Amino acid sequence: MLARAQVVVVDYGMGNLWSVVSALNFLGADPLITCNPAEITNADAILLPGVGSFRLAMQTLANKNLDEAIKEAVQIKQRKILGICLGFQMLAESSTEDGMTAGLGFIPTPVERFSVQELERRKLPHIGFNRVRLPNLPSLFDGFKTEEDFYFVHSYRLLAQALPGKKAICNYGTDFLAAYEHENVFGVQFHPEKSQTNGLRLLANFLNA
Amino acid sequence: MLSRNFRLQKVGTIDWLQKNYDFSHIAFYIDELIVLDVSRAERDIAHFSDALKVLAKGCFAPIAAGGGVRTLSDARRLLRSGADKVVVNSVLFDDPQFVSTLAQEFGQQCVVGAIDIKQEVGGTYHVYTNNGSCQRHELVTQLLEQLPKKSVGELYLNSINQDGTGQGYDLGLLDLIPHQLNLPTILAGGAGHSQHLIDGLLDERVDAVATAHLFNFVGDGLKRARESIRVQNVDLANWTPLSELKSDLFIKGIAI
Repeated sequence: MLARAQVVVVDYGMGNLWSVVSALNFLGADPLITCNPAEITNADAILLPGVGSFRLAMQTLANKNLDEAIKEAVQIKQRKILGICLGFQMLAESSTEDGMTAGLGFIPTPVERFSVQELERRKLPHIGFNRVRLPNLPSLFDGFKTEEDFYFVHSYRLLAQALPGKKAICNYGTDFLAAYEHENVFGVQFHPEKSQTNGLRLLANFLNA
Repeated sequence: MLSRNFRLQKVGTIDWLQKNYDFSHIAFYIDELIVLDVSRAERDIAHFSDALKVLAKGCFAPIAAGGGVRTLSDARRLLRSGADKVVVNSVLFDDPQFVSTLAQEFGQQCVVGAIDIKQEVGGTYHVYTNNGSCQRHELVTQLLEQLPKKSVGELYLNSINQDGTGQGYDLGLLDLIPHQLNLPTILAGGAGHSQHLIDGLLDERVDAVATAHLFNFVGDGLKRARESIRVQNVDLANWTPLSELKSDLFIKGIAI
């Protein structure tokens, strides 16, 4: 179970690692925190946190050869990955933040800033707890009611349309993709490590998936 | 269990916090935690960030931390110790340019401007900095107008008069906010029981209410406070009760 799976948290210098690791510890996991590509390719489960600039994050991953390590683990070895916040966005095709930057390409959609029309006078970043509509499907979404609150802080979003996997939707002027699961690729726009018991349940579901 | 972490970590008053207020339990009933270093002696950010790490280990809600933050390095240290936001106080008025730099470096949403305000005997309000030792003579509204644009992401207004009394907030602080300053506002100072929290939240200028009066909310106090707030049609964030999560996860082989 949890004890045997090697859970790895990618440390590339961006993201609130302390809180993510604390949440995993709380759930009984003992994650390896690393920026060593070999340790990432050998992981059973990968967590990719992230806060800050998409471009800087992708550049940092590339500089440390972590992008190739993650791609090998996820696309070739079929290991599961959970992207959190910016980490989720990095699983996508690309982002328009600071000009067009390519993402890891696991989720076939771009990341773009909420538009003025979408926001309908709301301010950015989208910050605070907000209601997420969850599908009644395993496994990331096990045990949840149809609507649950999670903590968000972001200005860029993925849209849900035309994606093949299981989707959870949140509304901030417009509906956007709050959480996603497709085969071994998982991602959440909100911060599960900051979403109280709802976030802990989600992390436990990922560890058990 | 969380208490295991607190017993193992000998970090000064953190043990006391857990022993006296069962902080690991209370932590599951708040939307956000604010941790302020109010030391009057020489501040030690290393010691404070170590204490913060211990608190953060058992708190799965956003955390704002501060007290004596005057450099980017101070801020970065707190942000690496579990804080999501940095709280600045005296430096808002002593070095406003620094606050802009903080916002540029970490994002405006990462900066909380905490302001201590006292109503004097005649009725006028004044801002006090440096742990309440230094009175700013300018009008509070003027001082707030002078905050650099795109620096502070949220305002934390604390009533010096009410703080520690448990007699309720000073809603008069809200009248001091300049009309064009459109920032999320946290009201603090004076909450003694849930009706105070409700009174604060029902004012449309208030986005959040803060209390340091843990004693009145120990045990099931905060949980009941949240319920009574919801009954008044204030839309509070909702999450599974810890006990329910515990039993659900136990079935899956996870003991928390």
